[in-house]
Amino acid sequence: MATMVMNRVLRHESILGVLLVAALVVLAAQSEHFWTTDNLLNQGRLMAEVGLIALPMTFVIVTGGIDLSVGSIFGLCAILLGVFWQNMGMPLPVAMIGALIVGAVAGLGNGFIITRFKVPPLIATLATLALYRGLAEGISQARSVRGYPDWFFVLGQGEVLGVPTQLWLLIVCFAIAAFILGMTTFGRTTYAIGSNEVAARFSGLKVDRAKLLIYGASGLISGLAAVIFVSRVSTTRSDMGTGYELDVITAVVLGGTSIFGGRGTIIGTALGLILMQALKNGLALSGVKGDGTIVVIGAVLIAAILVGNLLSRDGDG
Amino acid sequence: MTAETMTRPVPIRRWKSVFEAYGQEIVILGVIVVLCIGVWLYNPRFLSGNNFLSIFHSNAYIAIAAIGMSLVIISGNIDVSVGSLIGVLGTIAGTMAVNGYPIILCWLVPILIGMVINAGVGVLVAYVRIPSIVVTLGMLSILKGGLISVTGGAWISGMPPEFMIAQFRLFGIPSSVYFMVVLTVLAALWMKYSVFGRTVYAIGGNPEAARVSGIRIQPSIVGVFTIHGLFAGIAAVLFATQLQVIQSTVPPNLELTVITASVVGGVSILGGTGTVIGSTLAAILFAAIGSSLVFLNVSAYWLRAVQGLMILATVLADMARRRRI
Amino acid sequence: MRKTLLLTAALGLTLGVGTAAMADSAWTGGDNLPTNPLACDNTPGEAAAKPYDGGAPTGAPDLKGKKITVVDVPKLIGIGYFNATSKGIADAAKELGNVEAKTDGPTQANIDQQISFIDNYITSGVNGILFAANDPVAIAPVLKKALSKGIHVVGYDANSQPDAREWFVNQAEFNGIAKALIDDMAKEIGEDGQFAIVTSTFTTPNQARWIAEMGAYQAKCHPKMKWLETVEAQEDNNLSFNQATTLINKYGDDLKGIFGMTSVATPASAEAVTQAGKCGKIAVVGLATPNAMKPYVEKDCVKSVVLWNPVDLGYAAMHVLRAVVDGDLKPGAKSVKAGKLGDLQIINGSEVLLGAPTTFTKENIGNFDF
Repeated sequence: MATMVMNRVLRHESILGVLLVAALVVLAAQSEHFWTTDNLLNQGRLMAEVGLIALPMTFVIVTGGIDLSVGSIFGLCAILLGVFWQNMGMPLPVAMIGALIVGAVAGLGNGFIITRFKVPPLIATLATLALYRGLAEGISQARSVRGYPDWFFVLGQGEVLGVPTQLWLLIVCFAIAAFILGMTTFGRTTYAIGSNEVAARFSGLKVDRAKLLIYGASGLISGLAAVIFVSRVSTTRSDMGTGYELDVITAVVLGGTSIFGGRGTIIGTALGLILMQALKNGLALSGVKGDGTIVVIGAVLIAAILVGNLLSRDGDG
Repeated sequence: MTAETMTRPVPIRRWKSVFEAYGQEIVILGVIVVLCIGVWLYNPRFLSGNNFLSIFHSNAYIAIAAIGMSLVIISGNIDVSVGSLIGVLGTIAGTMAVNGYPIILCWLVPILIGMVINAGVGVLVAYVRIPSIVVTLGMLSILKGGLISVTGGAWISGMPPEFMIAQFRLFGIPSSVYFMVVLTVLAALWMKYSVFGRTVYAIGGNPEAARVSGIRIQPSIVGVFTIHGLFAGIAAVLFATQLQVIQSTVPPNLELTVITASVVGGVSILGGTGTVIGSTLAAILFAAIGSSLVFLNVSAYWLRAVQGLMILATVLADMARRRRI
Repeated sequence: MRKTLLLTAALGLTLGVGTAAMADSAWTGGDNLPTNPLACDNTPGEAAAKPYDGGAPTGAPDLKGKKITVVDVPKLIGIGYFNATSKGIADAAKELGNVEAKTDGPTQANIDQQISFIDNYITSGVNGILFAANDPVAIAPVLKKALSKGIHVVGYDANSQPDAREWFVNQAEFNGIAKALIDDMAKEIGEDGQFAIVTSTFTTPNQARWIAEMGAYQAKCHPKMKWLETVEAQEDNNLSFNQATTLINKYGDDLKGIFGMTSVATPASAEAVTQAGKCGKIAVVGLATPNAMKPYVEKDCVKSVVLWNPVDLGYAAMHVLRAVVDGDLKPGAKSVKAGKLGDLQIINGSEVLLGAPTTFTKENIGNFDF
C-alpha cells in the first residue's frame, strides 16, 4: 500500500518536475533577463505571500476541504495591522503579533463552523470570504495607513546574505510544513482524514481537533503573509489579497494535491508554485501581455492534470 | 392498516412533507418578506413599483445562470468559470449585433457556443476524470485572458435597439423577469419529473449506486454541463442587452454570486438535493439586500459583511433543518 | 417545523437589528486631506510655486535622440478612459518616431497586480515607464526600484509619492475639476437642488480628492445645494447602473442630479435615468469619455460632460518622458514643450499641467472619437 502511494506520488511530482525544467529552459531561451540571479531572487520575493499561504492550504485540501477565505483573512489582517498600530497606538511589534492573532482567530472561526456545525468547507469559507472582507472594509472605513518606520520594511524589502528576507522565511516554513506533513503523526492523520473521514474517526483519530488546527494555521499564515506584504508595499489597504485564493489553490492543485483529499505533498505544492511564478514572469519578459499569461496558466493547469491522469490510469483504478 | 389510520386527517401530513421537501425555499421566502417589510417601514419607496421591478430585472440574469449552476452542483460538480463565460458570450453577442448579423443569430449563436464550450468541460470531467474544480479553474483563466486579448479592452456600443431583448417590455414588465420566472418553473418541473432530472439527482446523491442501477454516468455529466452552458448563454444575452454598452471585462465576482445563489438556495454542495426554485429565490434575495442597504443608509462599507452574515445564517439554518431529517 | 420558524425569525431579527445599527452613517466619499476651493467667480487659483520634488534615476544611460522602449502601466486595462490614454501615448510615439511604446496592465484596478507588472518590465529592461497609480504609497517602492536601475519614470492621471517619479502629468487641478462639476450641476438643477454621487471605490485616491474638493467648493459657493448620498460602484458598468437605479428609486422626486465620478459611472447613471424615464428631470453631470455619452447627449438627456482629453493626457505624458530622456526637461523648469499641445505649464514643483478641463456638449461632442 505504501509503495503504491509512493509510486503514485512520485509519478505526478516527477512529471511536474520535468514540466518545470522544460518550462524554465524555454523561458530562459526566450529572454535573456529571465535566468539571472537578480530576477530569480526577485521572483522569490514576489511569490513569498502566495507561497506561504499555499503551505497550510495543502493540508486543507489533503483533508478534502478547501479554504476560499484566505484572501479575505489576508486583507483583514493587513488592515488591522494598520488599525492596531496607528489608531490604537500599539507599538509596531505588538501590532504585528496582533495581526497574526487575528488571522489565527479568523481561521479557527472557519474551523469551528466546519467542525461544529458540519457546514461543507466550500460554503463556510465562501461565506467567511465575504464576511471577513466586509469586516476589513467596515473597520478600516477604507482609510489607508502609511508611514511605517524603516526597520519594518526589512521584512518585505530587505535582504539577508543577499537573499530576500521573506524568501528565507518561505524556505524555513516550507521545510517545517514538509516535515509535519510527511513525517509526523499529525501528517498521517491529515492524509487519513482526506482518504476516508469516517474511517479515520472510527480509528480514534481526533479529526475535529486536527481540522481546527489546520484551518487555524491557514488563517495564521495568511496573517503572516499579510504582514510581509504590508512591509513590501509600505501601506495598508482594505482590498489587499483579493483573488489570492484562486492563485493559491491553483498552485496546490497543480502540485498534485487531489481536490478530493488524501493525496498531495508539500514538495508538489512547491513545484507548482515555482512553475506558476516562472510562467507569469518568464512570459511577461518574453513579451506576452498580461492577458495572454493568464490564458497560458489556465491551459497549463488543465494540461498538467490531464497528463497526470492519463499516465496514472494504469496504476490506479 | 386499521380503520383509524385510514381516517387520520391527511392535510397536516401533507403540509409537513411539503415543508420538509421545500424547507430551505420557504426559509428564503420568509427572509425576503421580513426584509421587504422591514425596509418598507423605514422608507416606503422601497416597495414602489419601479424599485420592486428593478430588483427583479437587474439580477434576472444571475438567477438564470444559477439555474444551470444548480444542476451542476446537484450532480456533484462545480463550475467557477461561469462569470468569465458570460462575459465572453455577451461580448460575442454584442459584436455580432454591431456587425449587422441577423438579430436572431445574435441571440442564438452565443447560446450555442456556451453549450459547446461547456460540453467540452463536461467531457474533461466525465471521461478524462479531471475534477470539475480544476477544469473550471483553468477555464476561468483561459476565458478571462482570452476576452481581453480579443477585444483589446474596447467596449462594445452602438448595438441596434431590436437586439436589446432584456429591455423589451410586456405589460410594463421587462422580458428578463418573464425569462427568469418561466425558465425557473420549467427547469424545476423538468428536474423533478423527467428521467434526466432524476438521473442528475441520483448521480449527485450516490454515484456508485447510480452506476450500479444502470445509469450511464458519463454522458449524463456531459449533458448536465451542456445544459448549464445553455442557461449561461441565455444569461449572457440578457446581460449583454441590459445596458447600451457591454464592458469588455467580466463583472467582478460574478461566479461567486452565482454559486452563492445556488448554495444559499438549498442546493447542497454534497450533491443530490436542492431545487432551482431555491436558487432563483436566493438570487432575488441578494438583489433585495443590495437595494435595501442603499435604502437603509447603511454605510456602503458594511455591505460585504452583511452579505457574508446572510450566507452564513442561511446555511446554518439549512444545516439545523437538515439534522432534523 | 417550529425550529425552522424560530430560525427564520431569528435571522430576520438579526438582519434587521444589524442593519439598523449600521444605518444612518453618512459617508461622502471624500478623503480627509485639506481642501482648497477656488473662488466662486472665474478668477484662476494661484499656482503653487514649489521647488522641484520629484525623484531622479541613478545611472540612467544617455539615450538622447536614440530609440527607447517605453511601457505604460495604467490602473487597469479594458475601460474606455485608459484605452484613450493608451491611444494618445501610441500617437505620440508614432509622431516622435524613435519610441517603441506598449500598454500593459491588470484587468482589475488592483495595486499588487500593477506592482507585479511594473516589476516584470523593470527586469525586462525598458528605458521608460509611464504609470497611473492605483495607490500612491504602495506603488512607490517598485517605482523607486525602477529609478535606481536607471529607468525614467513619469506618471499621469493618478500620482504617486513625488520622490518615486520624475514628473507627473496632471490633467487638471483637483479643485478645478470640482469647480467645473459643481458649477455645471448648479446651472442645471438650480441653487437649491439635491444631488447624489456615484463613485468607484472607497480606496481610489483621485475620486476621494475630487469629492472632498467638491464638498468644500459647494459649501463655499452654492451653500443651498444639498448632498444626499454617495454610493460605490467600482469600475463595473452593471453595478453602476444598479446603484444609480436604486438611488433614483429611493429618493424619487427629491433627487434632481447625479454625479458620475468615473468614466464608467457616468454613462451607467445616464442609462439608469433614461430607463427610469426621467430624462430631463434628473440631470447627470460627470466625468466620462465622449463616445460613451454620445447617445445621451444627443437625446438631450445629458447636457454636458466634463473631462480633460485623455488622449491628450497620454500624448503629453509620452512627450514629457521623451523630453526627460533627451535631457530637454530638467528639474526647475517652468514649462515643457509637448508636441502639438504646445507649452505646458509646470506647477507644484514636479507636475505638468495639461490645462483646463474640457466640457463636451451637444455642439462639440461629435468632433471627438474616444
